[in-house]
Amino acid sequence: MASRPQSDAARAIIGAPTAMVDAPRKTSGAGAYTDDLAVPGMLHGKILHSHLPHARIRGVDAGAALALPGVRCVITGADAPTAYGVLPIGKDECALQPDKARYIGDNIACVVAESERIAAAALPLIRVEYEPLPAYFDPEAAMAAPAAGWLHDHRPRNIEKEYHHVFGDPDAALARAAAVCRNRYVCPAVTHAAMEPHATLARFEPDGGLTVWSSTQVPYYLHKTLARVLQMSMERIRVIKPMVGGGFGGKSEVCPLEIVAAVAARRAGAPVKITYSREEVFYTHRGRPLQLTELETGAAADGTILAVRARVIQDGGAYCGYGPVTLLYSGALLGAMYDIPNVRWDGYRVLTNKPACGAMRGHGTVNTRFAFEAQLDELAERLGLDPAELRRRNFLQPPCRTVNGLRVLSYGLPECLETVVAASGWRERRTGRAAGAPPAVNDGRGPRRADRASAPSRRHGLGVACSHYVSGAANAVDRADAIHSTVYVEAAAPLPAPAGGASGGGAASDAAPPAVAVLTGTAEIGQGSDTMQAQIVAAALGLPLAAVAVIAADSAITPMDLGSYSSRVTFMAGNAALRAAEDLKQQIAAALARRWNCDPEAIRCLGGQVLGPSGQALSFAAAVAAALPPGAAHLRGVGTYSPPREAQGGDFKGAGVGPSPAYSYSAQVAEVSVDEDSGQVTVHKIWAAHDCGRALNPVAVEGQVIGSVWMGLGQALSEEMAYTRSGQLANPGLLDYRVPTILDSPPVEAFIVESLDPEGPFGAKEAGEGSLAAVIPAIANAIYDAAGIRLYQPPFTPDRVLRALQARAAAPASGQAATAGQDQPETKPGPASGPPPPSPAGAPPQAGG
Amino acid sequence: MSLPSFQLHRPRELAEAVALWTEHGAAAKLLAGGTDLIPSLKQGLFAPDHLIDLGAIAGLTGISRAANGDWLIGAMTRIHEVAEDPILGREFPLLAAAAGQIASPVLRRMGTLGGNLCLDTRCLWYNQSYLWRQSCGFCLKKNGAVCHVAPGGRRCWAAFSADTAPALLVLDASVEIAGPAGARWLPLAELYSGAGDHPLRLGRGEILSRVRLPAAAAGMRGSYQKFRIRNSIDYPLAALALALRREANGAVTARLALTALNPAPVLVAGLERCLAAALAADPPDLAAVVQLVNRAAKPLSTSTVPADYRREMVLIQARRALEACLA
Repeated sequence: MASRPQSDAARAIIGAPTAMVDAPRKTSGAGAYTDDLAVPGMLHGKILHSHLPHARIRGVDAGAALALPGVRCVITGADAPTAYGVLPIGKDECALQPDKARYIGDNIACVVAESERIAAAALPLIRVEYEPLPAYFDPEAAMAAPAAGWLHDHRPRNIEKEYHHVFGDPDAALARAAAVCRNRYVCPAVTHAAMEPHATLARFEPDGGLTVWSSTQVPYYLHKTLARVLQMSMERIRVIKPMVGGGFGGKSEVCPLEIVAAVAARRAGAPVKITYSREEVFYTHRGRPLQLTELETGAAADGTILAVRARVIQDGGAYCGYGPVTLLYSGALLGAMYDIPNVRWDGYRVLTNKPACGAMRGHGTVNTRFAFEAQLDELAERLGLDPAELRRRNFLQPPCRTVNGLRVLSYGLPECLETVVAASGWRERRTGRAAGAPPAVNDGRGPRRADRASAPSRRHGLGVACSHYVSGAANAVDRADAIHSTVYVEAAAPLPAPAGGASGGGAASDAAPPAVAVLTGTAEIGQGSDTMQAQIVAAALGLPLAAVAVIAADSAITPMDLGSYSSRVTFMAGNAALRAAEDLKQQIAAALARRWNCDPEAIRCLGGQVLGPSGQALSFAAAVAAALPPGAAHLRGVGTYSPPREAQGGDFKGAGVGPSPAYSYSAQVAEVSVDEDSGQVTVHKIWAAHDCGRALNPVAVEGQVIGSVWMGLGQALSEEMAYTRSGQLANPGLLDYRVPTILDSPPVEAFIVESLDPEGPFGAKEAGEGSLAAVIPAIANAIYDAAGIRLYQPPFTPDRVLRALQARAAAPASGQAATAGQDQPETKPGPASGPPPPSPAGAPPQAGG
Repeated sequence: MSLPSFQLHRPRELAEAVALWTEHGAAAKLLAGGTDLIPSLKQGLFAPDHLIDLGAIAGLTGISRAANGDWLIGAMTRIHEVAEDPILGREFPLLAAAAGQIASPVLRRMGTLGGNLCLDTRCLWYNQSYLWRQSCGFCLKKNGAVCHVAPGGRRCWAAFSADTAPALLVLDASVEIAGPAGARWLPLAELYSGAGDHPLRLGRGEILSRVRLPAAAAGMRGSYQKFRIRNSIDYPLAALALALRREANGAVTARLALTALNPAPVLVAGLERCLAAALAADPPDLAAVVQLVNRAAKPLSTSTVPADYRREMVLIQARRALEACLA
């Protein structure tokens, strides 16, 4: 059963809008991010990156660089030759490449100097002898490359991994479908663009131990990887995560600078800090891959979805990283939000000479979800159904298992959909696309400023789409039996009362010291994990929030947690924190039950007191003192979390990815208008409803939903990693990689739906990622409603939209949607993926491929 | 990310700045607001031994009126002051519109009018780091001999992308140039060379010090049309300014200029005659005027946004600006 807040005190904390516990540190500037740190004797590292996309390294001559005054040492691949990678099957990269560069930006050497300026000045003095190799920037071309063009010898035809999943009989089901849509979707790569660039400071201690401060979402994986590459025991290494300015997945695996700083500190005999430039953040990437999706969905005349078939190619870039996981997510969650009995999915993860991809908010699911939800809109039109109604007719009936073995217990999708349909005025305001229909709605604000002079009347359109996401992966990447999270809650013996007593007034009494400390390995990256655990522990122990101190992410003192990724922390660490608090409470209750001669179950923690069944009462501090074993200084409650076996999925190849103890759900409606002269799209409003189980902190949930919608809006409208024909990332900076500005950001109205998950802490599940995917198809579908064009490739930039409008105008009036400028099924790649001439000279950049 | 090392000069008099600039020549750079120069220094596009900061010079800022009624704007006047000055906004709304769409509010508080007019040309293949430029072979604007935009040619096509230049061109502005031989005035159009790799036609030691707006241009109708992907921060990808006045006798005074499409801002020649002919028809036939713009615009692949789309945009802008000013 769901743990529900039992007491008034708990209800005052759980579900109450709560300021982040680290807000004072952030808003005052007192908190330190990694780049803010400095230690005595600290040196600065700067990494030399490859300027060639694919080349054998014949030699590195650092003589001239070493001769520059202020340069202490130069390290190369030979200094850290042990390969690593986040997956057991993908340990294919070195912090500095010893023999081969695989993309423009790959890591070759590191200069350590007395200042960053000196290190930067030394970089061009390093002579690297390269032997160029043929390079591939398009995944389909890379799959046909001769052996000289294979990035890794152990990956023939540059296929990192392929999977083929068949559930039910999709071919037969499609053959009897009343309507089948088939399309090819191209989603170019996008990246996280977190505000804080990656930074690491590494210091060897006099006793030979290593301390590393790093901007990471995964201190535990960093800890293990440092031990592996530096060949030290984990006990000799201490990893500390300072404040982190956003991750979004970009810091969810070990990044080269984290290893390089440690190796450099060992070589230099002094602490070394490395902070990436923004350009280096782009080269480190680990973001959402370019994905080619051939998708086919068939439904019966009543709208029942009979089957879906998908062929997915992900362009993974130069290294494995999370690759197979990203790929498997694109299939595992394809058919798992609705009741789809027949699914075929073929997935290919391909290596190309571009920055490596990885996890990014909505990991692996976003591009497939865009394709599927956009295709549902077409399917609804073919069947003459309202797109919201089509979705309604295909809801799961939980508790249930999807066809690919995912266990679904709580399912707030129906309420999410009803909420946004009602709030947006969907039924009244969406006319459905009919030629010559009048503008559906007019918000009175008119078109954007530059067009105000004489823009034609712009018709508004509405589009709907849904999405979902895991509340943590049920299977850890490296160990099937892993404990996913451990949390300690400690209460120390109270200090003696200060001399002078309470009458002394003022200073001591106002700032009562925290009553308990939460020790947790979770990585607060701005998402609110410290606040969440403080709330849970406070609620469980009947304490005010201010009585709980959170100590997090220092491997020397906090227990293990897998990290902040896959939206796992609230569900998993939240449960561990709840169990740790309950363990502490049981210790107190057991002791007081003996004293009060009552049933320990009858003892409650409430309002800073511990209460017995017959009016007995002790302050929490006095109760802790009473419960301390002789000689003990503190009580420690321990809580752990591992996902239940029933939530860990099936046993087919690749079944490990997708299972989660619980899933979040989102439904959204977007309102847009299209300037039909210029192709410019304006998003006027997004209504977003998210089922997070229970909103432990509603203001944090709303922030996550709005942030997810906004990030999806960027992928929908303006964000894209564009590459030149010679494999350069054309826009490695925040001027040309265009995240939306506030002027491009419509109002987002967030609605919280609480389905009370039976296994979540107080019923909670994830809130930070599931709302991202829906916004892209919601906008695409709204563009169709406004302008009658189907778009198969985000971002929906004005040039792409104008080409589609022109094709619509040129198309015969068949009633079919215009699709020109956008690829259609069965044919070969679209504009994003021409053949890859590995030409030395530049040529105009191409989207995506 | 560190700046390269240089010696910083902060002259208090314009003459002192001219003397330093004359002395150090190519080994120096002028710093106005720095919003474009500083990122370029970090990217290694310049490695000056000397940086001459114009920010401490008295008399280079402010908006004033000359005896003959012309308007004078100091080169170091911040862009937000130009955009938000109420009197300037009433007399020259076009200039306020163009200045008000530059970059973002924070950058407009740093950037200066003179800096905007002297903005370096921009190109996908140029505004990049050393590593990036090395990876495709250095281009002829910086360290190299090839042009990645027009690989056969020897000309640099980097796009001049300032917003205020087309507005000031159509308002018939002139600029004061201080130099070792004293000050001279020249029409704004003559400031620009048309070559992407050395866009300004200035001699050694010369500094743009003031902008003059003729009283005759006050009160003209204007339209500034700017295309960019985001509604803030972005440089224009195609933009157009039109100033127009219908005289009492029915004649039309009109000027139209483009930016972000060519290596210099372009004052479209022959507009008035063409427009007069267009207006003689009933209803007015603007196609020939749009065609004039089409011939003047030379967008090339200097950006990730396709050049052919930028061309289509400027034609839409021309039509919209004309319709707005003729309405």
